[in-house]
Amino acid sequence: MFKTPLSTVEEKIGANFGEFAGWEMPMDYTSYQDEHMAVRQSAAFFDLSHMGRIRIKGKKEELDKIVTRSLLSENFRMIGPSAMLNEKGGFIDDIMIYKVSDTEFLMVTNAINREKDVNWIKHNSSLEVEDLTFDYAMLAIQGRRVWELLGYKTNLQPLQFVLNSNFLGEDVFLLSRSGWTGEDGLEVWAKAEVAERIINKLMEKGIKPAGLIARDSLRQEMGFVLYGEDIDENTTPVEARYWVFDLDKNFIGKEKIDEQLKNGVKRIRVGFKLQKGIRAIPRHGYKIRILETEVGEVTSSTYSPYLGRVIGMGYINSSNAFFGFHANIEIRGKDYRAKISDFPLI
Amino acid sequence: MGEIKVGKYIVLDDRLYTETDEWVKIDGDVAVVGITDYAQKKLRDIVGIELPKVNQEVKAGDPVGTIESVKAASDLYSPLSGIVVEVNEGLETSPEIINKDPYGEGWMFKIKIKDKSEAQRLLTPEKYIEKIRGE
Repeated sequence: MFKTPLSTVEEKIGANFGEFAGWEMPMDYTSYQDEHMAVRQSAAFFDLSHMGRIRIKGKKEELDKIVTRSLLSENFRMIGPSAMLNEKGGFIDDIMIYKVSDTEFLMVTNAINREKDVNWIKHNSSLEVEDLTFDYAMLAIQGRRVWELLGYKTNLQPLQFVLNSNFLGEDVFLLSRSGWTGEDGLEVWAKAEVAERIINKLMEKGIKPAGLIARDSLRQEMGFVLYGEDIDENTTPVEARYWVFDLDKNFIGKEKIDEQLKNGVKRIRVGFKLQKGIRAIPRHGYKIRILETEVGEVTSSTYSPYLGRVIGMGYINSSNAFFGFHANIEIRGKDYRAKISDFPLI
Repeated sequence: MGEIKVGKYIVLDDRLYTETDEWVKIDGDVAVVGITDYAQKKLRDIVGIELPKVNQEVKAGDPVGTIESVKAASDLYSPLSGIVVEVNEGLETSPEIINKDPYGEGWMFKIKIKDKSEAQRLLTPEKYIEKIRGE
């Protein structure tokens, strides 16, 4: 199992570690509910050192054929999320892409897909790929009061980034105005010893640490997918209602996307909210029914501290995607009422 | 009552324990049952609970409820045989109390004990500490 390079400082500030995608990472520090609310009401930081980070060098036209969003526009600097698809339109991965120059790109991948993505790019191009995952730690600082607590406002616009910059008096490799919680904030790549100092500075500013459980509940409120749970190689962006592609370009899997957009799909991803007061969580694979008929399955679910109820997402027959209507979800042999909802759930 | 620290977990010396991480405090012929500090820390945030019903007859080792945590749903077992005489209804709306005070406000149910000799099969605090250390 890989270990985050920040584990020593995180242990000191109270991290409870657990395994995720082959990495030992902070799952929580005190309670995921407190950490979740810190992001929605104040600000918190996450260690994301497990996420794959790779450098790609070569002709941009070659990379453009592998990824679903256009890299060729002059104005393009950073795109997220984008995706790499297989020939059947299924997700190899959902990714973030940073354009350093016309011949150099950076990519953030899901931790679980890092090696697969590197191999996929090599298999489908003559591009040079270098794995930077173990060279840098990665932190995300997110929250409604993030600028107030950090004590400044960044010049970066959303989805802009700079390389070799300064953050809180420290030299960092990459600083981007991005995140995965639905709140504003920054993501930082830095050497581990620099990231440790940044953690201490964030703590001094009253920005608390948060673990991967809070990250999971935050992304579910926004309706963001998790690879392996909500999308995989057998799911297409159309079924996932995940608009991560440009239609006026070619890429691997494009034919399937075109076909599905023209003819429709059998199943689509929807959100749900369980009735208030229900304190049972449907897990991945639990059945969704309308009038006793099975119409789909849950892929992710959690208790939302912000809404005070159980929420989640799953796939149902597209002809049964009655947003605002009720369905039943079976949890341990008993049916619970849920409202089929669109994203975001908050 | 004394607290024994085992790493980051607390074990109390005035009660008995199960292999499935429940604690039992016996007072005459009534036993109060909850889950241990070790169990609640392993489960992480508890977001829901299903408790047994009052007057329900339970047997030692039977699953009598469910603890829903953000991580997974886990069975709650009865450590002893008897009749459930009271449940902590406040936990149904505020299950997070179990995380905050597992040995106090987070108690789960009380049983009128049927056979006191069953308590001899429960773990002493020392045996429970050994179990935690072994995991």
